[in-house]
Amino acid sequence: MQTMATDRLPRRFIIPVLLFVLILVAASMFPDGFFTWFWDRLNVFATIFLGIFVEAIPYLLLGTFASGLVEEFVDRDQMSRWISRRPAAAAISGAFMGMIFPVCECGVVPLTRRLFHKGLPLSAGISFLLAAPVLNPIVIISTAAAFGWDRMLLWRVGLSLLIAIITGMIFSVEPNAGKILKPIISLPTEHDHSHGSIHKTFMEKVRGALLVTVDEFFDMGRYLIMGSVLAAGLQTFVSQSVLLTLGSGPVFSVLIMLLLAVLLSICSTVDAFVALGFVGTFSFGSVLSFLVFGPMVDIKSVLMYLQVFNKKSVFYIVTIPFMISLLSGLLLNYLLP
Amino acid sequence: MPTRMYRSFQGLLLTGLFVFFASKAVNGQLTWYINSRFVPLTLFGILFLAVLAQTIFTEVKRLRAHDEEHVHEHEHATPANLWFMIIPLLIGVLIPARPLNSSAFDTKGLNTSAPLVSADTSSLIFETESEKRNILDWLKLFNYEDDVTQFVGQKASVIGFVYFDEALGADQFYVSRFVVSCCAADGFAIAIPAQWPDAASLKKDSWVIVKGSISSVEIDGNRMPLITATSVESVDVPDQPYLFP
Repeated sequence: MQTMATDRLPRRFIIPVLLFVLILVAASMFPDGFFTWFWDRLNVFATIFLGIFVEAIPYLLLGTFASGLVEEFVDRDQMSRWISRRPAAAAISGAFMGMIFPVCECGVVPLTRRLFHKGLPLSAGISFLLAAPVLNPIVIISTAAAFGWDRMLLWRVGLSLLIAIITGMIFSVEPNAGKILKPIISLPTEHDHSHGSIHKTFMEKVRGALLVTVDEFFDMGRYLIMGSVLAAGLQTFVSQSVLLTLGSGPVFSVLIMLLLAVLLSICSTVDAFVALGFVGTFSFGSVLSFLVFGPMVDIKSVLMYLQVFNKKSVFYIVTIPFMISLLSGLLLNYLLP
Repeated sequence: MPTRMYRSFQGLLLTGLFVFFASKAVNGQLTWYINSRFVPLTLFGILFLAVLAQTIFTEVKRLRAHDEEHVHEHEHATPANLWFMIIPLLIGVLIPARPLNSSAFDTKGLNTSAPLVSADTSSLIFETESEKRNILDWLKLFNYEDDVTQFVGQKASVIGFVYFDEALGADQFYVSRFVVSCCAADGFAIAIPAQWPDAASLKKDSWVIVKGSISSVEIDGNRMPLITATSVESVDVPDQPYLFP
């Protein structure tokens, strides 16, 4: 293990170093104005990146801490007592479980992975994964704060539940969760030395939960960072105003809002305030599709999903919500113009 | 990587993140990145980072005692996870902090018209003194009120950064601000035009306080408030560079 890592390190550094030299050579050929332009861009990039990152940190910590607590305080027997094994019932209870866990889309991934590890059925876990970022109390309150206790909130919650349950039930056709889930590599080995978690004192459990929190934070933080870099990069170099002017007409406006939800990669706990800015420019159905799809799929969450599920499953987790959000957005655009 | 080394690096990085964010919080720069509404939650997160760092260092100490019995490899120790956490620190430290300015207009756009924020609070703004209204307030008033002649001649005093645009005359410039709902990623720029004989002497992106009287103009088919400036003074970047709707 150790020799492999040290052997691979230098080779891994060759490409970045070559790239750096290439950039230097290329840079010497650029016109004068390029550097001020580039520096300006880099500043914008840094501000946007740190914006996403700073805002997501508390929520990621909350999710990973929840995951740590589950690891230490929930055992497998309890889990099977709580959650039914029948697919429909499991999917529905999984979706409603979101109401008791205040996690958004960054935090929900490590937590779901941990719950799977504790024996949560696949369909329940999938519907939890998709529903929790919208159904959690913080998001409901922030949506209400932005839109009032009104139809937007009802539709958002209802449609998210529907999508989560449908997707969860589709996944129940695969009885062997082991085929779909990747193993958790970041299990603290200390646990294997102690004799089960039953004999631990409360403080030992808290300490264990905090260690799991750190491991999950580093594990998932990696994908949060990659996602934020991508999102900030896209925002620095791709014009949003072009996107927004394209977004007219009942079909295109929904597509553009879905695309924007993925590109912006903002946390579900705050996206309602952002969506508020689109009301007036965009129809009810389009804004709703932004609010429903954004928490389920964006750049950083897809990167995180890839650590938990195999590629084929991630494909379904992305496309099923996409199709349903798109269809409902279109339908609502015609029904409630 | 041996467990103890891995844990030590984790502790160092957590401390690094804590120090970086805490310094941002102390010098008031958190609002350069996020809406002030989320600052309390972020502070809570920053404190939690410190708790985690402390936990890790205690664990390292425990492992040191433990390792004397037998050294073990940590299976979950993938160093890649560690390298990634350096990225935000590098970006934060190497690239000087700066709030969004007109460089972001290319991709984020300058929104001089359009229904800016859906909540119609113009009746509230109506009652505030004209000199206390900010750029967003003025734009909302001109968007939602049918009769804007009532505002013509009112005194205005607004802060923003300077931006020049082809749609404006040589003695005019835009006073702009970014409006941020949650974080810099969703920021969009708004601006109102100002008239000032020395406009050309102003520097793009410099922060100014513009005082003068309001009139109504049409730019690219949109009705906008225009400030005929009696004074334009340079100011420091305000504590909260963005406006929060």
